[in-house]
Amino acid sequence: MALNRRDFTLASLAAIAASSGLTLAVKAQGTKTIAVLFDGLYSEFWVAGIQIIRDELKKRGYEIMEAISDQDDNKQFEQVRAAIARKVDGIIIVQTDSNAVIPAIKAANAANIPMVHFNRPPAQSDAFSVAIQADNQKIAREAVDYACTVAQKSGKKHQAAILIGDLGDPNAIQRRDGFQEAVDKYPDAIEVVAKIPTEWNADTAFAGLTNALQANPDISFLFTSSDFLLPQIQQALKTADKWHKVGEDGHVILTGFDGFPDAYALMKDGYMDACGVQNLFFETQLAIQAILDLGEGKKVEKLLLDPGFAITQANMNEKASEMWGYVLWKEKNPG
Amino acid sequence: MTITPVAETATGATQPPSVLRRLGRLMLSEYFVLVLCVAYVLAIAPFVPEILSWEVASNILSDMMPLLVVAIGQTFVLIIAGIDLSVTAIVSMSAVVGASVMTGTGGYLGDTAFAVPGAVLAMLFTGLVIGAINGFSVIRLNMPSFIVTLATRMFFAGAAVWYVTFHSTSSSIANLPESFAEFATGHLFGIPLTVIAAGLIAVVAHVVLSRTRFGRAVYAVGANPRAARVSGIPVERTILFCFLISGVCASVAATIYVSRMQTGSPIVGENILLDVIGAVVIGGTSLFGGKGKIVWTVFGVLFLLLLDTSMKLLGASLFAIYIIKGGVILLAALVDVARNRWLVGR
Repeated sequence: MALNRRDFTLASLAAIAASSGLTLAVKAQGTKTIAVLFDGLYSEFWVAGIQIIRDELKKRGYEIMEAISDQDDNKQFEQVRAAIARKVDGIIIVQTDSNAVIPAIKAANAANIPMVHFNRPPAQSDAFSVAIQADNQKIAREAVDYACTVAQKSGKKHQAAILIGDLGDPNAIQRRDGFQEAVDKYPDAIEVVAKIPTEWNADTAFAGLTNALQANPDISFLFTSSDFLLPQIQQALKTADKWHKVGEDGHVILTGFDGFPDAYALMKDGYMDACGVQNLFFETQLAIQAILDLGEGKKVEKLLLDPGFAITQANMNEKASEMWGYVLWKEKNPG
Repeated sequence: MTITPVAETATGATQPPSVLRRLGRLMLSEYFVLVLCVAYVLAIAPFVPEILSWEVASNILSDMMPLLVVAIGQTFVLIIAGIDLSVTAIVSMSAVVGASVMTGTGGYLGDTAFAVPGAVLAMLFTGLVIGAINGFSVIRLNMPSFIVTLATRMFFAGAAVWYVTFHSTSSSIANLPESFAEFATGHLFGIPLTVIAAGLIAVVAHVVLSRTRFGRAVYAVGANPRAARVSGIPVERTILFCFLISGVCASVAATIYVSRMQTGSPIVGENILLDVIGAVVIGGTSLFGGKGKIVWTVFGVLFLLLLDTSMKLLGASLFAIYIIKGGVILLAALVDVARNRWLVGR
């Protein structure tokens, strides 16, 4: 059979159209899809978070469209629009900048697709979305308060430093404020001499802390706004000959935030005094339930809070099992 | 089944041309990348049928615009055998400067009628200044454009973050006028305003390159600066203007980004460098200078966006997208090298 080029082209296009239609038809009958859009997997918190969300959604029979924006707000906006074009049934998002995410929320609103912010709320706007957030300020305040009582008991005045996160992230601001509220109650025991911006960047944090320790060699009280900076803190303190256990001479009273496996290990080994813990399991459950409820047309509050808790050297034994970092640590260190 | 294309030979007999010759002709064709775009869409459509939808096409078009504008400026610089690595920092710096002028939260012209025009002028001026620093460093200090623009990229990327600390309690500047946001969302006769703006810039750039004395000077400087100088072409001035054009184009892209995100962020555009240079090179503009066209850059940007969007629709991981894009750009650069050698060989 002879076929000219025109017939061949037409036949090819028809075949593609047919197969595309078939794929669409299969999709139409298939399972529901949730887009899970994170801005990065920079620490164990996010890796564990996305894994729990994946597992939970799969368990409930959902398909997942996953994307990472690498802290690029514009790219994430494009990812949201791609998700809308795929007609997903919901979007769980972790944005970088609380202001820059607003156009993405508006786009989801216009497409009538529910959006839930996991762990990071957006800035105030007239767009509707639901945010899951730890009660950062309260958790940080409780953890730092414990550290302040330790400082007070030592009978001397401590020079303190705080590693502050990215100020475009409300979590970072609330943790900073929680720290400040706690130390303000102990003016005789604590004097804040260094506020180190990290922009949630480990290299920036390491350089900032190293400089602060050189400029203020008497720093003996440290709060980090996230446990993912613990390796850099350990390195900087070792270099400054300040890496000592609780009760040893030269120990820096160290408080963390998040509840990483590393934080649990350091508390167990006696290098860390306290840690503000976000309940990751609870937050992922809240996020998934919120997206499902919104999909079913139920009313959901704009902000759902994880109360979290502070784990300290005093309550470690009773609270450890509630700490997500302990659960992961235990999996890696059975027995 | 037989497909029967027909070709005339020197002897007058009809004989199919060899596949290799056809492939070679296609690769050297101006429209090679456009053909690739069509082929790619047809190939990927069975897996992501949404790519054929109007919604996705419209997304691709609007996603293209800021990248296209930066890539147009980069085309001028690549044709003179230079490179502008600072475009990302120009975007960031222009974005925060513009936002600081028009924000309703303590902006220099915030809540006045001059907020938006003042901000746009400030953004363009920022691009012009950084472009001038690049250009003067290359022509007056004889520094390689690679080093100059790498240095200005680092300097202004840092300066943008620092600048925000004086203008906002957060890491970005928000509360921008609604009228500015309309630039990204508005339409004129059904055509998005950003498409009109980028289209106008592309047409003007095309005319400048192909129809003016300056355009001819750009190609001459890129092909052989010594010969260009001997021929009386103002080489230094041409190089300076190319960097100025690149700076202004990057700042125009910043207006699109800021309007789209309704936020002046010091990290906006931070990750687009690979896409910008990649798109220009994929289009066919030579890394060796002296060769390039705006229409090629349009095709290059389109191809990159098609690749990017289809991968997003497929739900591919960012790392997979980087690997694929990097591979395609490497392939385009290799084709450029091969073409260059082949032309030298002839």
